Amino acid sequence: MRMMIILPFIGIIERETTMNVQKKISLKDRYRILTRGLDWETSYQPMGKVFPDVGFEGIKIRNWDDFNDPFRLTMDAYWRFQAEKERKLYAVLDSFSQNNGQTAITDGRYVNTLKLFLTGISPDEYMAHRGFAHVGRQIPNAGLRISAQMQALDELRHAQTQIHTIGQYNKHFSGLHSFRRMHDRVWYLSVPKSFFDDAVTAGPFEYMVAIGFSFEYVLTNLLFVPFMSGAAYNGDMATVTFGFSAQSDEARHMTLGLEAIKFILEQHEDNVPIVQHWIDKWFWRGYRVLTLVAMMMDFMLPRRIMSWKDAWDIYFNDAGGALFGDLARYGITLPKYVDVPAKEVNRLSTEAWSIFYQYTHAAAFHTWLPTDQEMDWLSASYGPDWDRLYRPRFLHWRQMEKEGHRYYNNALPQLCQVCQIPMAFTEPDDPTRVAFRDTVYRGERYHFCSDGCKNIFDHEPEKYVQAWLPVHQIFQGNCGGASLDQVLDWYGIEKGVDNMDYAGSPDERTWKEWEAMRGRVAG
Amino acid sequence: MGARYRLTVDPIDRTIDIEEGQTILDACLREGIWLPHACGHGLCSSCKVDLVEGEVDHGRASSFALMDFERDEGKVLACSAMPRSDLRIEADIDLDPDAHCHPVRDYDGRVAAIRDLTPDIKGVWIELQGQAIAFQAGQYVNLHLPGIGTPRAFSLANPPSEDRMVELHVRKVPGGEATGYIHDTLREGDPIRLTGPYGQFFVRRSRRAPILFLAGGSGLSSPKSMILDLLEGGWDLPMTLIHGVRTAADVFMADLFADLAARHANLTYVPALSAPDDRPWSGERGFVHEVAERQFDGRFAGMTAYLCGPPAMIEASVTSLMRGRLFERDIFMERFLSAADTAGSRPRSPLFQKV
Repeated sequence: MRMMIILPFIGIIERETTMNVQKKISLKDRYRILTRGLDWETSYQPMGKVFPDVGFEGIKIRNWDDFNDPFRLTMDAYWRFQAEKERKLYAVLDSFSQNNGQTAITDGRYVNTLKLFLTGISPDEYMAHRGFAHVGRQIPNAGLRISAQMQALDELRHAQTQIHTIGQYNKHFSGLHSFRRMHDRVWYLSVPKSFFDDAVTAGPFEYMVAIGFSFEYVLTNLLFVPFMSGAAYNGDMATVTFGFSAQSDEARHMTLGLEAIKFILEQHEDNVPIVQHWIDKWFWRGYRVLTLVAMMMDFMLPRRIMSWKDAWDIYFNDAGGALFGDLARYGITLPKYVDVPAKEVNRLSTEAWSIFYQYTHAAAFHTWLPTDQEMDWLSASYGPDWDRLYRPRFLHWRQMEKEGHRYYNNALPQLCQVCQIPMAFTEPDDPTRVAFRDTVYRGERYHFCSDGCKNIFDHEPEKYVQAWLPVHQIFQGNCGGASLDQVLDWYGIEKGVDNMDYAGSPDERTWKEWEAMRGRVAG
Repeated sequence: MGARYRLTVDPIDRTIDIEEGQTILDACLREGIWLPHACGHGLCSSCKVDLVEGEVDHGRASSFALMDFERDEGKVLACSAMPRSDLRIEADIDLDPDAHCHPVRDYDGRVAAIRDLTPDIKGVWIELQGQAIAFQAGQYVNLHLPGIGTPRAFSLANPPSEDRMVELHVRKVPGGEATGYIHDTLREGDPIRLTGPYGQFFVRRSRRAPILFLAGGSGLSSPKSMILDLLEGGWDLPMTLIHGVRTAADVFMADLFADLAARHANLTYVPALSAPDDRPWSGERGFVHEVAERQFDGRFAGMTAYLCGPPAMIEASVTSLMRGRLFERDIFMERFLSAADTAGSRPRSPLFQKV
């Protein structure tokens, strides 16, 4: 039986019914009817001029209408949801502030993870916002465009709410006051900065694969779960609440990433090798940024959640394995160099923390040597090799501190041309040898920390020869001057307050005063 | 055991059972109703649905994933909400233009014939005593067997036009309780009860695309029903049936399909043997997906594929089809799962919903 239903404003919809079952119109059809005609083919300007960035990456799209808008969310509904999330979060932040929530954390050292997050990650949330705004502007499909626009707004919200959440700590602790300036200037922050600079200067399809898929889907759990669980384990309810508020957006982000990559792969088989290279590249780029997370988990959290190794097993090997098992159906393989993280999983965080310990005078957070108990935890997590190779190093540095000769490295390190990490990481198959790779391009030699980074450079050398490398810039006199003090001033690092060891820092004094007050009240 | 309620799902208007303490998502997935979902524990809000009637316990739904104002508006998270009464929800489910939505009913029948189709597959014909069964070719019924607690699912091999004589193909699963009973104990004349029809495996005629049927072993049942139904309805586009079995002794109903193919130019029938042996065989050799790749030169774009068989065959076939540029929206399947199959399945991501 064929039925005609007349709906006000919408017109006539034909519906087929069988067996006298009355069916409603599906949500999908309702949305289609609501939004029909809101996208159009341009007439007095060619489409190619209106969407100029969509063609140059070599991605072939046969039919834009094949993109399946998975959300079907109107802006009206979007604003209502986000406004309510804000109200909830800011109520918690008010209560945090009124109840001196900062005194409830496990230890003053914990705040250093927030410094790393605010200077390293929050500005990249803002860059993610810009990247999705670019995708939203450039993609000639209404569903993808509106999804990208909403995600751009989400990322802006994340940046703002992170700043406001962690801003609570800025009233009491050092190193949080100039996060934006530091992000643009400080040597180690060029690692996350260059990651997102690379992404937002790519075309819209590469950005979707780099951030929408590789980062939001494959690696995001390795970034946010450690920080947010770390906050929960260490009594930081403000950051935990931010985490919940952001996580409610993540489902949309992950879904968009998956729908986008499926769409690109299904549109044309010529897209498969292009996407494969992007997955290879952004897996490796993302993994290098995660070095900072590994270090945070294993060395900086007063109360540990799990080791970097456990996190890698759960969030990459298990979850990523399932994903790549499914992607294999498109002919996509596991990222190139995927075996390397497993080879260096036992030492990544230790090598990173060792760099920061040596360069504590140039860091915007405090450092310390692991205690005996913490070293026992590391050796239990990473096995006898950790005791053999790294415990003696920390014991040696401890001895030097005792003798009044705390070790500082005053030479500027060589940086990898791609990921910008100091070249202090070792060969995947030999933890006693530092890894160096290089390529000669137009008569200049460029240096890399790994095969992964060299591979990225060799594929697009014109892009990476332009890299702003902090050490080169210091030597060229572009960073405030030739002395450490001048460079720190230019960075916005307050000497003797923001940098150096936790022991003896103003942060430690503040924390000890709070502890003493608690002791007096309790006693 | 707690109370049991009824859950009706719009827009498909299907009603299923749900128990106290069971989540809406769990009840739906168990009944083959796929709802969008991701985290599964109330944090991500992917599974948000409208509660049209009834009362729920929101369970562990996070106050960020499901806001207070949304709760007031009748939104619930399917992964967390549990019933406190009969429920009606409206979920984001596509209406399939080819779905007939036949109601599920109980049918009483009598075993009319049992015949060996191969050394380990029996054909069972059940004559219905009361009303005739209305179903779509490709759907299955649950068979209630004496002394066996949970009913077992078997695809209907008869076309919908033969609505009084149900035909099932039952492979004897080693150690299988139900299939063992059917092979060893069930006799002609025995009374038997069945419930159905179930399943979303049916021909999407409205697509008007060439059809590829990939069947493994006893997975021939659904394609048989579908092909007979299509031919009765005058289907004129090309369709190919590739039926994979291990040895020549495992081939069954070859005469039927060879005869149909001879009479209908648009039907191609390809039986294929996967196990190497020395006996003469003029037909194809290899696994179903390998034969399909050879048959179509690895290019499947533009077809609609229907897959029916054991999980390993389905998995390999989906990969071949997708490598040959046929994707999720054009692939439909019925997996034949036995208890042994679920243990070894590889972990899956949310990349694909149906395949």
